[in-house]
Amino acid sequence: MKSRDEAFEALFKSEYARVAGIANRVLADSHEAEDVAQEVFINFHRLHSANAQFAPAWLHRAAAHTALNRLRGRRRREKRELAQAPGEAERTVDPQRMLEVNEDRRLVRAALARLAPKPAAVLVLRASGLSYAEVGQALGVGTGQIGTMLRRAEAALRKEVTRGTSL
Amino acid sequence: MAHLSDGTLRRMFDDPDALTGSDRRHYVDCAGCQARYSGMADDARAVATLLAAPELRLDVASALKRVEAAPAAKPRFGFSLPILSPASRPMFAGLAAAAVLVALVVTAFAEILPLFQPKTVEPVPVTVADLESLSALSDYGTLTWTEKPTPQIVLSAADAQNVAAGMHAPAVTYLPSTVSSTVTYAAMPKAEAVFTFDAAKAADAAAKTGKPLPTLPAGIDGAKLTVKVGPAIIEVFGNLKQSSSANASSNDINLPQLVIARSSAPVVSSTQVSAQELENYILSLPGISPGLASAVRAIKDPSTTLLVPVPVEYASSSKVKVKGVDGVALGDNTGLGAAVIWINGDVFVVAGSVSQIDVLKIAEGLTV
Repeated sequence: MKSRDEAFEALFKSEYARVAGIANRVLADSHEAEDVAQEVFINFHRLHSANAQFAPAWLHRAAAHTALNRLRGRRRREKRELAQAPGEAERTVDPQRMLEVNEDRRLVRAALARLAPKPAAVLVLRASGLSYAEVGQALGVGTGQIGTMLRRAEAALRKEVTRGTSL
Repeated sequence: MAHLSDGTLRRMFDDPDALTGSDRRHYVDCAGCQARYSGMADDARAVATLLAAPELRLDVASALKRVEAAPAAKPRFGFSLPILSPASRPMFAGLAAAAVLVALVVTAFAEILPLFQPKTVEPVPVTVADLESLSALSDYGTLTWTEKPTPQIVLSAADAQNVAAGMHAPAVTYLPSTVSSTVTYAAMPKAEAVFTFDAAKAADAAAKTGKPLPTLPAGIDGAKLTVKVGPAIIEVFGNLKQSSSANASSNDINLPQLVIARSSAPVVSSTQVSAQELENYILSLPGISPGLASAVRAIKDPSTTLLVPVPVEYASSSKVKVKGVDGVALGDNTGLGAAVIWINGDVFVVAGSVSQIDVLKIAEGLTV
Protein backbone atom coordinates (compact mmCIF):
# COMPACT_ATOMS: atom_id res chain seq x y z
CA MET A 1 0.00 0.00 0.00
CA LYS A 2 1.35 3.40 -0.97
CA SER A 3 1.62 6.16 1.59
CA ARG A 4 -1.14 8.78 1.57
CA ASP A 5 1.08 11.32 -0.22
CA GLU A 6 2.37 8.83 -2.78
CA ALA A 7 -1.11 7.59 -3.51
CA PHE A 8 -2.40 11.13 -3.98
CA GLU A 9 0.48 12.03 -6.30
CA ALA A 10 -0.16 8.92 -8.40
CA LEU A 11 -3.87 9.71 -8.57
CA PHE A 12 -3.16 13.32 -9.48
CA LYS A 13 -0.79 12.38 -12.28
CA SER A 14 -3.17 9.83 -13.74
CA GLU A 15 -6.35 11.92 -13.51
CA TYR A 16 -5.40 15.60 -13.61
CA ALA A 17 -5.48 15.90 -17.39
CA ARG A 18 -8.85 14.23 -17.59
CA VAL A 19 -10.35 16.31 -14.76
CA ALA A 20 -9.04 19.52 -16.34
CA GLY A 21 -10.32 18.28 -19.71
CA ILE A 22 -13.84 17.81 -18.36
CA ALA A 23 -13.81 21.32 -16.89
CA ASN A 24 -12.42 22.71 -20.13
CA ARG A 25 -15.15 20.99 -22.10
CA VAL A 26 -17.71 22.83 -19.99
CA LEU A 27 -16.03 26.21 -19.68
CA ALA A 28 -14.10 26.42 -22.95
CA ASP A 29 -11.46 28.29 -20.98
CA SER A 30 -8.18 26.57 -20.19
CA HIS A 31 -7.22 28.85 -17.29
CA GLU A 32 -10.56 28.52 -15.55
CA ALA A 33 -10.57 24.79 -16.27
CA GLU A 34 -7.28 24.40 -14.42
CA ASP A 35 -8.71 26.40 -11.52
CA VAL A 36 -11.62 24.01 -11.31
CA ALA A 37 -9.38 20.95 -11.60
CA GLN A 38 -7.20 22.14 -8.74
CA GLU A 39 -10.19 22.99 -6.60
CA VAL A 40 -11.60 19.52 -7.21
CA PHE A 41 -8.33 17.81 -6.23
CA ILE A 42 -7.92 19.98 -3.14
CA ASN A 43 -11.39 19.05 -1.98
CA PHE A 44 -10.86 15.39 -2.74
CA HIS A 45 -7.59 15.42 -0.80
CA ARG A 46 -9.33 16.89 2.23
CA LEU A 47 -12.24 14.48 2.14
CA HIS A 48 -11.01 11.13 0.91
CA SER A 49 -8.16 8.69 0.61
CA ALA A 50 -6.50 8.54 -2.79
CA ASN A 51 -6.56 4.76 -2.45
CA ALA A 52 -10.37 4.78 -2.54
CA GLN A 53 -11.77 2.75 -5.42
CA PHE A 54 -14.27 5.45 -6.23
CA ALA A 55 -11.62 8.18 -6.54
CA PRO A 56 -11.69 8.62 -10.36
CA ALA A 57 -15.50 8.56 -10.48
CA TRP A 58 -15.66 11.13 -7.66
CA LEU A 59 -13.18 13.41 -9.44
CA HIS A 60 -14.99 13.22 -12.79
CA ARG A 61 -18.34 13.94 -11.23
CA ALA A 62 -16.99 16.80 -9.15
CA ALA A 63 -15.21 18.29 -12.19
CA ALA A 64 -18.41 18.28 -14.23
CA HIS A 65 -20.63 19.67 -11.49
CA THR A 66 -18.16 22.30 -10.31
CA ALA A 67 -17.51 23.51 -13.85
CA LEU A 68 -21.22 23.53 -14.70
CA ASN A 69 -21.90 25.45 -11.54
CA ARG A 70 -19.32 28.05 -12.52
CA LEU A 71 -20.78 28.23 -15.98
CA ARG A 72 -24.23 28.95 -14.62
CA GLY A 73 -22.94 31.61 -12.28
CA ARG A 74 -20.84 33.29 -14.89
CA ARG A 75 -21.78 36.83 -15.76
CA ARG A 76 -18.77 38.02 -17.65
CA ARG A 77 -18.52 35.11 -19.99
CA GLU A 78 -18.70 36.92 -23.26
CA LYS A 79 -15.99 39.39 -22.36
CA ARG A 80 -13.65 36.68 -21.19
CA GLU A 81 -14.18 34.51 -24.24
CA LEU A 82 -13.40 37.31 -26.58
CA ALA A 83 -10.23 38.02 -24.65
CA GLN A 84 -9.15 34.42 -24.35
CA ALA A 85 -9.90 30.99 -25.84
CA PRO A 86 -6.74 30.70 -27.86
CA GLY A 87 -7.68 27.33 -29.26
CA GLU A 88 -7.09 25.29 -32.31
CA ALA A 89 -9.05 27.74 -34.39
CA GLU A 90 -6.84 30.69 -33.50
CA ARG A 91 -3.77 29.29 -35.14
CA THR A 92 -5.30 28.37 -38.42
CA VAL A 93 -8.05 30.82 -39.28
CA ASP A 94 -8.49 34.51 -39.73
CA PRO A 95 -9.71 36.94 -37.00
CA GLN A 96 -13.24 37.05 -38.38
CA ARG A 97 -13.47 33.27 -38.18
CA MET A 98 -12.08 33.34 -34.65
CA LEU A 99 -14.79 35.76 -33.55
CA GLU A 100 -17.37 33.43 -35.01
CA VAL A 101 -15.86 30.45 -33.20
CA ASN A 102 -15.92 32.36 -29.93
CA GLU A 103 -19.51 33.43 -30.46
CA ASP A 104 -20.49 29.85 -31.22
CA ARG A 105 -18.79 28.67 -28.05
CA ARG A 106 -20.58 31.31 -26.02
CA LEU A 107 -23.96 30.27 -27.38
CA VAL A 108 -23.26 26.57 -26.83
CA ARG A 109 -22.09 27.11 -23.25
CA ALA A 110 -25.13 29.26 -22.53
CA ALA A 111 -27.31 26.43 -23.84
CA LEU A 112 -25.37 23.87 -21.77
CA ALA A 113 -25.93 25.99 -18.67
CA ARG A 114 -29.68 25.85 -19.25
CA LEU A 115 -29.80 22.04 -19.25
CA ALA A 116 -30.55 20.12 -16.04
CA PRO A 117 -27.35 19.10 -14.20
CA LYS A 118 -27.38 15.42 -15.06
CA PRO A 119 -27.96 15.66 -18.83
CA ALA A 120 -25.33 18.40 -18.99
CA ALA A 121 -22.90 16.22 -17.05
CA VAL A 122 -23.54 13.20 -19.29
CA LEU A 123 -22.71 15.27 -22.35
CA VAL A 124 -19.49 16.76 -21.07
CA LEU A 125 -18.21 13.54 -19.51
CA ARG A 126 -18.80 11.57 -22.68
CA ALA A 127 -17.40 14.37 -24.87
CA SER A 128 -14.32 14.33 -22.64
CA GLY A 129 -13.61 10.76 -23.62
CA LEU A 130 -15.02 8.82 -20.68
CA SER A 131 -16.40 5.39 -21.51
CA TYR A 132 -20.05 4.55 -20.88
CA ALA A 133 -19.00 2.64 -17.75
CA GLU A 134 -16.96 5.58 -16.47
CA VAL A 135 -19.79 8.04 -17.10
CA GLY A 136 -22.16 5.69 -15.28
CA GLN A 137 -19.86 5.41 -12.29
CA ALA A 138 -19.34 9.15 -12.12
CA LEU A 139 -23.07 9.86 -12.13
CA GLY A 140 -24.22 6.91 -10.08
CA VAL A 141 -26.35 5.34 -12.81
CA GLY A 142 -26.13 2.00 -14.59
CA THR A 143 -24.06 1.74 -17.75
CA GLY A 144 -27.18 0.56 -19.60
CA GLN A 145 -28.86 3.92 -19.03
CA ILE A 146 -26.09 6.02 -20.54
CA GLY A 147 -27.15 5.60 -24.18
CA THR A 148 -30.65 6.82 -23.43
CA MET A 149 -29.39 9.69 -21.30
CA LEU A 150 -26.95 10.75 -24.00
CA ARG A 151 -29.61 10.61 -26.68
CA ARG A 152 -31.98 12.80 -24.70
CA ALA A 153 -29.24 15.20 -23.65
CA GLU A 154 -27.98 15.65 -27.20
CA ALA A 155 -31.45 16.37 -28.50
CA ALA A 156 -32.01 18.80 -25.63
CA LEU A 157 -28.74 20.62 -26.26
CA ARG A 158 -29.41 21.03 -29.97
CA LYS A 159 -32.84 22.38 -29.14
CA GLU A 160 -31.41 24.83 -26.61
CA VAL A 161 -28.72 26.00 -29.03
CA THR A 162 -31.35 26.58 -31.71
CA ARG A 163 -33.50 28.45 -29.21
CA GLY A 164 -30.50 30.54 -28.14
CA THR A 165 -29.62 31.55 -31.69
CA SER A 166 -33.20 32.47 -32.54
CA LEU A 167 -33.60 34.77 -29.54
CA MET B 1 -39.51 -8.08 -32.41
CA ALA B 2 -39.88 -4.69 -30.78
CA HIS B 3 -37.98 -1.76 -32.23
CA LEU B 4 -34.54 -0.98 -30.83
CA SER B 5 -34.55 1.46 -27.92
CA ASP B 6 -33.12 4.95 -28.18
CA GLY B 7 -30.35 3.91 -25.79
CA THR B 8 -29.38 0.92 -27.94
CA LEU B 9 -29.32 2.99 -31.11
CA ARG B 10 -27.28 5.73 -29.47
CA ARG B 11 -24.79 3.23 -28.15
CA MET B 12 -24.54 1.75 -31.63
CA PHE B 13 -23.30 5.12 -32.87
CA ASP B 14 -20.37 4.98 -30.43
CA ASP B 15 -19.80 1.26 -30.63
CA PRO B 16 -21.31 -0.58 -33.61
CA ASP B 17 -20.13 -3.89 -32.12
CA ALA B 18 -22.29 -3.39 -29.03
CA LEU B 19 -25.42 -4.66 -30.85
CA THR B 20 -26.51 -8.20 -30.14
CA GLY B 21 -27.11 -10.54 -33.05
CA SER B 22 -30.88 -10.27 -32.86
CA ASP B 23 -30.73 -6.47 -32.58
CA ARG B 24 -28.52 -6.34 -35.63
CA ARG B 25 -30.87 -8.53 -37.66
CA HIS B 26 -33.81 -6.33 -36.67
CA TYR B 27 -31.93 -3.16 -37.56
CA VAL B 28 -30.99 -4.40 -41.01
CA ASP B 29 -34.63 -5.09 -41.85
CA CYS B 30 -36.24 -2.11 -40.09
CA ALA B 31 -36.46 1.17 -42.01
CA GLY B 32 -37.97 2.86 -38.93
CA CYS B 33 -34.99 2.05 -36.70
CA GLN B 34 -32.60 3.06 -39.45
CA ALA B 35 -34.32 6.44 -39.77
CA ARG B 36 -34.22 6.97 -36.00
CA TYR B 37 -30.54 6.03 -35.96
CA SER B 38 -29.84 8.52 -38.70
CA GLY B 39 -31.45 11.33 -36.68
CA MET B 40 -29.56 10.36 -33.53
CA ALA B 41 -26.26 10.11 -35.35
CA ASP B 42 -26.87 13.56 -36.77
CA ASP B 43 -27.48 14.95 -33.28
CA ALA B 44 -24.46 13.15 -31.86
CA ARG B 45 -22.12 14.51 -34.55
CA ALA B 46 -23.55 18.00 -34.19
CA VAL B 47 -23.10 17.97 -30.40
CA ALA B 48 -19.53 16.70 -30.70
CA THR B 49 -18.80 19.72 -32.89
CA LEU B 50 -20.67 22.11 -30.62
CA LEU B 51 -18.75 20.94 -27.55
CA ALA B 52 -15.33 21.37 -29.11
CA ALA B 53 -13.08 23.13 -26.60
CA PRO B 54 -9.88 25.14 -26.81
CA GLU B 55 -6.67 23.20 -26.47
CA LEU B 56 -5.35 22.56 -22.96
CA ARG B 57 -1.65 22.91 -22.29
CA LEU B 58 -1.07 21.47 -18.83
CA ASP B 59 1.92 21.57 -16.53
CA VAL B 60 0.95 18.71 -14.25
CA ALA B 61 3.99 18.97 -11.97
CA SER B 62 3.35 22.66 -11.21
CA ALA B 63 -0.34 22.00 -10.70
CA LEU B 64 0.46 19.24 -8.21
CA LYS B 65 2.70 21.62 -6.26
CA ARG B 66 -0.05 24.21 -6.08
CA VAL B 67 -2.59 21.66 -4.87
CA GLU B 68 -0.20 20.27 -2.25
CA ALA B 69 0.55 23.78 -1.03
CA ALA B 70 -3.13 24.63 -0.60
CA PRO B 71 -3.91 25.51 3.01
CA ALA B 72 -6.18 23.19 4.92
CA ALA B 73 -8.79 25.90 5.21
CA LYS B 74 -12.48 25.55 4.65
CA PRO B 75 -12.97 24.62 1.01
CA ARG B 76 -15.09 26.84 -1.20
CA PHE B 77 -17.75 24.30 -1.95
CA GLY B 78 -16.54 21.19 -0.24
CA PHE B 79 -19.32 19.15 1.15
CA SER B 80 -19.62 15.44 0.85
CA LEU B 81 -22.59 13.66 2.20
CA PRO B 82 -21.60 10.61 4.20
CA ILE B 83 -24.10 8.51 2.27
CA LEU B 84 -22.36 9.24 -0.98
CA SER B 85 -19.10 7.42 -0.62
CA PRO B 86 -17.83 4.42 1.29
CA ALA B 87 -14.76 6.33 2.47
CA SER B 88 -16.99 8.79 4.26
CA ARG B 89 -18.53 6.14 6.45
CA PRO B 90 -16.10 6.69 9.32
CA MET B 91 -17.17 10.31 9.29
CA PHE B 92 -20.82 9.25 9.27
CA ALA B 93 -20.12 6.96 12.22
CA GLY B 94 -18.46 9.92 13.89
CA LEU B 95 -21.47 12.09 13.22
CA ALA B 96 -23.79 9.44 14.58
CA ALA B 97 -21.66 9.07 17.67
CA ALA B 98 -21.59 12.82 18.04
CA ALA B 99 -25.34 12.99 17.78
CA VAL B 100 -25.77 10.32 20.45
CA LEU B 101 -23.24 11.86 22.78
CA VAL B 102 -24.57 15.34 22.31
CA ALA B 103 -28.03 13.97 23.02
CA LEU B 104 -26.71 12.39 26.18
CA VAL B 105 -24.92 15.55 27.14
CA VAL B 106 -28.01 17.66 27.06
CA THR B 107 -30.32 15.26 28.82
CA ALA B 108 -30.93 13.76 32.19
CA PHE B 109 -32.83 14.98 35.18
CA ALA B 110 -33.47 13.24 38.47
CA GLU B 111 -36.26 10.66 38.47
CA ILE B 112 -37.25 8.58 35.50
CA LEU B 113 -38.83 11.13 33.26
CA PRO B 114 -38.53 11.78 29.58
CA LEU B 115 -35.71 14.30 29.67
CA PHE B 116 -34.99 14.76 26.07
CA GLN B 117 -37.78 15.00 23.54
CA PRO B 118 -36.54 17.26 20.81
CA LYS B 119 -39.03 19.57 19.19
CA THR B 120 -36.60 21.62 17.15
CA VAL B 121 -33.14 21.42 15.62
CA GLU B 122 -30.00 23.51 15.98
CA PRO B 123 -26.63 23.25 14.20
CA VAL B 124 -23.49 22.73 16.29
CA PRO B 125 -20.13 23.25 14.60
CA VAL B 126 -17.74 20.34 15.15
CA THR B 127 -14.25 19.70 13.86
CA VAL B 128 -12.73 16.46 12.62
CA ALA B 129 -10.81 16.35 15.90
CA ASP B 130 -14.11 16.52 17.80
CA LEU B 131 -15.52 13.69 15.72
CA GLU B 132 -12.45 11.58 16.25
CA SER B 133 -12.67 12.03 20.00
CA LEU B 134 -16.42 11.48 20.05
CA SER B 135 -16.29 8.34 17.94
CA ALA B 136 -14.87 6.54 20.95
CA LEU B 137 -18.18 6.72 22.81
CA SER B 138 -17.53 3.30 24.32
CA ASP B 139 -14.60 4.83 26.21
CA TYR B 140 -17.02 6.61 28.50
CA GLY B 141 -19.33 3.75 29.37
CA THR B 142 -21.23 0.79 28.04
CA LEU B 143 -24.05 0.88 25.54
CA THR B 144 -26.41 -2.08 25.77
CA TRP B 145 -29.35 -2.58 23.44
CA THR B 146 -32.42 -3.79 25.31
CA GLU B 147 -34.35 -3.78 22.03
CA LYS B 148 -31.90 -4.13 19.19
CA PRO B 149 -32.43 -2.07 16.05
CA THR B 150 -33.67 -4.37 13.30
CA PRO B 151 -33.71 -2.39 10.08
CA GLN B 152 -35.21 -4.25 7.12
CA ILE B 153 -35.47 -3.66 3.40
CA VAL B 154 -39.13 -3.94 2.41
CA LEU B 155 -40.96 -3.93 -0.90
CA SER B 156 -43.41 -1.08 -0.56
CA ALA B 157 -44.44 1.96 1.42
CA ALA B 158 -47.24 -0.10 2.95
CA ASP B 159 -44.76 -2.75 4.15
CA ALA B 160 -42.55 -0.03 5.57
CA GLN B 161 -45.54 1.38 7.43
CA ASN B 162 -46.30 -2.05 8.94
CA VAL B 163 -42.73 -2.55 10.14
CA ALA B 164 -42.58 0.98 11.55
CA ALA B 165 -45.59 0.55 13.82
CA GLY B 166 -47.99 2.37 11.51
CA MET B 167 -45.77 5.37 10.80
CA HIS B 168 -46.80 6.89 7.46
CA ALA B 169 -44.10 6.74 4.77
CA PRO B 170 -43.46 10.27 3.44
CA ALA B 171 -44.51 10.69 -0.20
CA VAL B 172 -42.76 13.07 -2.57
CA THR B 173 -44.72 15.48 -4.71
CA TYR B 174 -41.62 17.03 -6.27
CA LEU B 175 -38.52 15.26 -7.58
CA PRO B 176 -35.80 16.92 -9.67
CA SER B 177 -35.46 15.40 -13.13
CA THR B 178 -31.97 14.22 -12.21
CA VAL B 179 -33.27 11.92 -9.48
CA SER B 180 -34.56 8.48 -10.36
CA SER B 181 -38.09 7.71 -9.23
CA THR B 182 -37.05 4.17 -8.29
CA VAL B 183 -37.48 3.92 -4.52
CA THR B 184 -36.11 1.35 -2.10
CA TYR B 185 -37.85 1.31 1.26
CA ALA B 186 -36.26 0.40 4.57
CA ALA B 187 -37.99 0.45 7.94
CA MET B 188 -37.12 -0.16 11.55
CA PRO B 189 -39.31 -0.77 14.60
CA LYS B 190 -38.58 1.03 17.86
CA ALA B 191 -35.22 0.25 19.48
CA GLU B 192 -34.00 0.95 22.98
CA ALA B 193 -30.53 1.20 24.46
CA VAL B 194 -29.16 1.83 27.93
CA PHE B 195 -25.94 3.75 28.27
CA THR B 196 -24.25 3.13 31.62
CA PHE B 197 -21.66 5.71 32.51
CA ASP B 198 -18.42 4.09 33.71
CA ALA B 199 -15.97 6.32 35.57
CA ALA B 200 -13.13 3.81 35.28
CA LYS B 201 -13.46 3.66 31.51
CA ALA B 202 -13.63 7.43 31.30
CA ALA B 203 -10.46 7.68 33.40
CA ASP B 204 -8.67 5.29 31.03
CA ALA B 205 -9.82 7.33 28.03
CA ALA B 206 -8.59 10.51 29.67
CA ALA B 207 -5.24 8.88 30.49
CA LYS B 208 -4.75 8.12 26.79
CA THR B 209 -4.99 11.82 26.03
CA GLY B 210 -2.38 12.55 28.71
CA LYS B 211 -4.72 14.87 30.57
CA PRO B 212 -6.20 14.32 34.01
CA LEU B 213 -9.90 13.41 34.38
CA PRO B 214 -12.01 16.23 35.83
CA THR B 215 -13.52 15.62 39.25
CA LEU B 216 -16.48 13.26 39.08
CA PRO B 217 -19.83 14.65 40.22
CA ALA B 218 -21.40 12.49 42.90
CA GLY B 219 -23.46 9.63 41.52
CA ILE B 220 -22.34 9.83 37.93
CA ASP B 221 -20.50 6.52 38.03
CA GLY B 222 -23.05 3.90 37.06
CA ALA B 223 -25.65 6.45 36.00
CA LYS B 224 -27.96 4.96 33.40
CA LEU B 225 -29.42 6.79 30.46
CA THR B 226 -32.17 5.07 28.50
CA VAL B 227 -32.32 6.04 24.86
CA LYS B 228 -35.35 5.17 22.73
CA VAL B 229 -35.07 5.57 18.98
CA GLY B 230 -37.43 4.83 16.13
CA PRO B 231 -39.57 3.57 14.65
CA ALA B 232 -38.16 4.91 11.41
CA ILE B 233 -38.67 4.71 7.66
CA ILE B 234 -35.98 5.39 5.08
CA GLU B 235 -36.65 5.87 1.37
CA VAL B 236 -33.67 5.60 -0.97
CA PHE B 237 -34.10 6.96 -4.50
CA GLY B 238 -31.92 5.60 -7.29
CA ASN B 239 -31.11 2.26 -8.85
CA LEU B 240 -29.06 0.50 -6.19
CA LYS B 241 -28.60 -2.73 -8.08
CA GLN B 242 -25.08 -3.74 -8.93
CA SER B 243 -24.04 -3.40 -12.56
CA SER B 244 -24.51 -6.60 -14.51
CA SER B 245 -21.63 -5.90 -16.86
CA ALA B 246 -18.94 -8.52 -17.20
CA ASN B 247 -16.29 -6.42 -15.50
CA ALA B 248 -18.49 -5.36 -12.60
CA SER B 249 -16.73 -4.58 -9.34
CA SER B 250 -17.75 -3.06 -6.04
CA ASN B 251 -17.04 0.23 -7.73
CA ASP B 252 -20.08 -0.30 -9.93
CA ILE B 253 -22.60 -0.16 -7.12
CA ASN B 254 -24.71 2.87 -7.74
CA LEU B 255 -24.86 5.41 -4.98
CA PRO B 256 -28.21 6.72 -3.81
CA GLN B 257 -29.27 9.99 -5.41
CA LEU B 258 -31.63 10.94 -2.64
CA VAL B 259 -32.52 9.68 0.83
CA ILE B 260 -35.63 10.65 2.75
CA ALA B 261 -35.89 9.52 6.35
CA ARG B 262 -38.58 9.85 9.00
CA SER B 263 -38.08 8.77 12.59
CA SER B 264 -39.86 9.26 15.86
CA ALA B 265 -37.91 11.80 17.85
CA PRO B 266 -35.47 10.07 20.21
CA VAL B 267 -36.39 10.08 23.89
CA VAL B 268 -33.79 9.90 26.64
CA SER B 269 -34.47 9.32 30.32
CA SER B 270 -32.15 9.01 33.30
CA THR B 271 -32.17 7.66 36.81
CA GLN B 272 -29.42 9.31 38.71
CA VAL B 273 -27.86 12.53 37.63
CA SER B 274 -29.08 15.95 36.66
CA ALA B 275 -28.80 17.26 33.14
CA GLN B 276 -26.61 20.11 34.26
CA GLU B 277 -24.18 17.82 36.11
CA LEU B 278 -23.87 15.48 33.19
CA GLU B 279 -23.51 18.24 30.64
CA ASN B 280 -20.85 20.02 32.66
CA TYR B 281 -18.94 16.83 33.29
CA ILE B 282 -18.89 15.47 29.74
CA LEU B 283 -18.10 18.83 28.22
CA SER B 284 -15.08 19.15 30.51
CA LEU B 285 -13.61 15.78 29.48
CA PRO B 286 -10.29 15.91 27.64
CA GLY B 287 -10.89 15.51 23.90
CA ILE B 288 -13.98 17.70 23.85
CA SER B 289 -12.83 20.96 22.31
CA PRO B 290 -13.67 24.26 24.02
CA GLY B 291 -15.42 25.32 20.80
CA LEU B 292 -17.81 22.36 20.86
CA ALA B 293 -18.39 22.75 24.60
CA SER B 294 -19.31 26.42 24.30
CA ALA B 295 -21.54 25.73 21.29
CA VAL B 296 -23.46 23.08 23.23
CA ARG B 297 -23.75 25.33 26.26
CA ALA B 298 -25.12 28.12 24.11
CA ILE B 299 -28.23 26.11 23.23
CA LYS B 300 -31.16 27.71 25.01
CA ASP B 301 -33.32 24.70 25.75
CA PRO B 302 -31.24 21.56 25.43
CA SER B 303 -33.98 19.20 26.56
CA THR B 304 -36.09 19.99 23.49
CA THR B 305 -33.38 20.69 20.91
CA LEU B 306 -31.79 18.09 18.65
CA LEU B 307 -28.27 19.18 17.87
CA VAL B 308 -27.06 18.63 14.31
CA PRO B 309 -23.27 18.28 14.27
CA VAL B 310 -21.86 20.21 11.30
CA PRO B 311 -18.24 19.42 10.37
CA VAL B 312 -16.98 22.94 9.83
CA GLU B 313 -14.14 21.98 7.51
CA TYR B 314 -16.46 20.34 5.02
CA ALA B 315 -19.96 21.66 5.30
CA SER B 316 -21.76 24.91 5.69
CA SER B 317 -25.07 25.07 7.49
CA SER B 318 -27.92 27.51 7.57
CA LYS B 319 -31.20 27.81 9.42
CA VAL B 320 -34.23 27.39 7.18
CA LYS B 321 -37.99 27.03 7.45
CA VAL B 322 -39.52 23.76 6.30
CA LYS B 323 -43.28 23.47 6.34
CA GLY B 324 -43.36 26.37 8.74
CA VAL B 325 -40.96 24.94 11.33
CA ASP B 326 -37.26 25.59 11.95
CA GLY B 327 -34.82 23.33 10.16
CA VAL B 328 -31.10 23.08 9.51
CA ALA B 329 -29.82 22.92 5.91
CA LEU B 330 -26.37 21.59 5.04
CA GLY B 331 -24.40 21.81 1.82
CA ASP B 332 -24.73 24.17 -1.10
CA ASN B 333 -26.04 24.47 -4.62
CA THR B 334 -23.23 22.71 -6.48
CA GLY B 335 -25.35 19.59 -6.79
CA LEU B 336 -22.66 17.55 -5.06
CA GLY B 337 -24.58 17.21 -1.86
CA ALA B 338 -27.12 18.90 0.37
CA ALA B 339 -29.36 17.95 3.26
CA VAL B 340 -32.06 19.38 5.46
CA ILE B 341 -33.28 18.15 8.84
CA TRP B 342 -36.33 19.33 10.74
CA ILE B 343 -38.70 18.18 13.45
CA ASN B 344 -42.42 18.32 13.06
CA GLY B 345 -43.48 15.83 15.70
CA ASP B 346 -41.13 13.29 14.10
CA VAL B 347 -37.60 13.93 12.87
CA PHE B 348 -37.33 14.29 9.08
CA VAL B 349 -34.22 14.26 6.90
CA VAL B 350 -33.92 14.84 3.16
CA ALA B 351 -30.40 14.41 1.77
CA GLY B 352 -28.86 13.69 -1.58
CA SER B 353 -26.58 14.62 -4.43
CA VAL B 354 -28.76 17.52 -5.49
CA SER B 355 -28.66 21.24 -4.86
CA GLN B 356 -29.81 22.79 -1.61
CA ILE B 357 -32.63 24.50 -3.49
CA ASP B 358 -33.90 21.13 -4.69
CA VAL B 359 -33.53 19.55 -1.26
CA LEU B 360 -35.71 22.28 0.21
CA LYS B 361 -38.29 21.95 -2.57
CA ILE B 362 -38.44 18.18 -2.02
CA ALA B 363 -38.82 18.73 1.73
CA GLU B 364 -41.60 21.30 1.28
CA GLY B 365 -43.42 18.97 -1.08
CA LEU B 366 -43.41 15.91 1.20
CA THR B 367 -46.78 14.63 2.27
CA VAL B 368 -46.58 12.96 5.63
